[in-house]
This record gives sequence, C-alpha cells and structure tokens, in this order.
Amino acid sequence: MRFLVMVKATPESEAGAGPSLEELETMSKFNEELLNEGRIVLAEGLTSSAEGVRVLFDGDAEPKLIDGPFAETKELVAGVWVLNGESLEDVVALMKRAPNPDARGGVIEIRPISE
Amino acid sequence: MRFMVIIKSNEESEAGVGPSAELLAEMGKFNEELVKAGVLLAGEGLTPSSQGARVVFSGSEEPKVVDGPFAETKELVGGFWILQCRDRDECVEWIKRMPNPDGTPGVVEIRRVAEASDFENMTPEVEELEGRLRAQGAGEA
Repeated sequence: MRFLVMVKATPESEAGAGPSLEELETMSKFNEELLNEGRIVLAEGLTSSAEGVRVLFDGDAEPKLIDGPFAETKELVAGVWVLNGESLEDVVALMKRAPNPDARGGVIEIRPISE
Repeated sequence: MRFMVIIKSNEESEAGVGPSAELLAEMGKFNEELVKAGVLLAGEGLTPSSQGARVVFSGSEEPKVVDGPFAETKELVGGFWILQCRDRDECVEWIKRMPNPDGTPGVVEIRRVAEASDFENMTPEVEELEGRLRAQGAGEA
C-alpha cells in the first residue's frame, strides 16, 4: 500500500523561515533511513502559502482565484512524503520516529492512496 | 518550477463516493493532456479520512495517535498532482481547465514545491540525498 503523509504547517513554516542547519541534517538523516528501508516514493517540502493560490470552482461560473497566504495555518500542508507501507499502523509507527526539532510539536496526517 | 496541486475534500469524497463514470473518463483525458505536455510528475487520489490517522507531537511527550475521520472536511486533502510548469500562472491555467462535469463546487490549492536553492542552510550532503530522493520518485512514476 502507498500512503500520503502530510506534515502540517506551523507558524514557523508559514513565516518562510527555512530549517536550521541542525534541523535540515536531522530530517535528512530520517529521509535516508526511509530511503534505505525502501519506503520513499517521493518527498517534497512546500514553500509557505504566501506563494500559493486557490482556485475556487462554483457551478458553471469562471473559477475564482484567491491569493495566499491562507489563514488556517494548522490545516495547511508544509511538506509531504509518499511512502510504501504494509498498513496504516506500520506507517504510524514509522512516523512516530519523525524528527520533532526542539520538541516544538506538530501534526502529521497519514492517508492511504487509492489504488 | 514544480507545484503541488491539492484538491480539497468534499462531502462525497469523505463519504467514499467514487467519481462518476463521466468524471473518471474526463479526468483520464485531462491527465493524458498533462502527460503529453510534459507537465505531470505525479498524481494520486486519497481514500476518505476515516481510513487515515494523525500523529500529534506535543513537546517531548510520546506522540499521540488520533484516528480519522477528521471533521474539517473542506480543509482535508482529497487528492493531489505534482506539476512541472513555467510559473504559477501556467499552473493556474491548467487547473482552471480541470474537469468538473457535474459543476460541483470545490477548492483547489496550488503551492510551489521548495527546491534546493530555497534552503539557505543547504549542505552538499543534504543536496546529494535530495537528488537521490528525486531519482527514486522518477523511478516509480
């Protein structure tokens, strides 16, 4: 099975503050572990929602555009993996090992991909 | 530039109602156009959030696991594409044309994917790993 694993945004990620050298290296080490275990299909970070745009569809009308940033920080996505896993539990166990720099906290959402 | 295009959930997708035959056919055609234009890097649909889970980190405590479904339907992700476009405007133009045969209201969010040059603390070692991660994705596509 494959899973989309989303790291939710935080005030820091939305402020466009890139990771510190230590954070970058810790995340890189975790990615290397995932890669060596054959887990990673893709791994990407997103820029802050200030660079984003939403396209709103409503019936037959021409879609409307709304420029970022978007307010609901905790619901926004800051980065994603697509990972191979045996089951939801398997990927949950994997993600409990994800780096949590400075114990700042955060939310990771794991969703099975339709096959 | 690469963009992650996030299709937000709606009541139908969260209820596990699959796309209509018409939408499925039109989406197939649209994806084919994206491929022909060299724009499509990845694209996947997700199952309803009732099949998902969240891992919540709080301070240095053991992370907590919260099972789906999750309430805020309109903020959830229903599916995504990763597209290679010249700029954001080109990506918006593609998305404005995405099939919506039933005229279902919906929101699609377009976000730029970070590249190595976006990280001021990038090291050669991390950049080399990033390259391998990318090659991995290309191999799977």
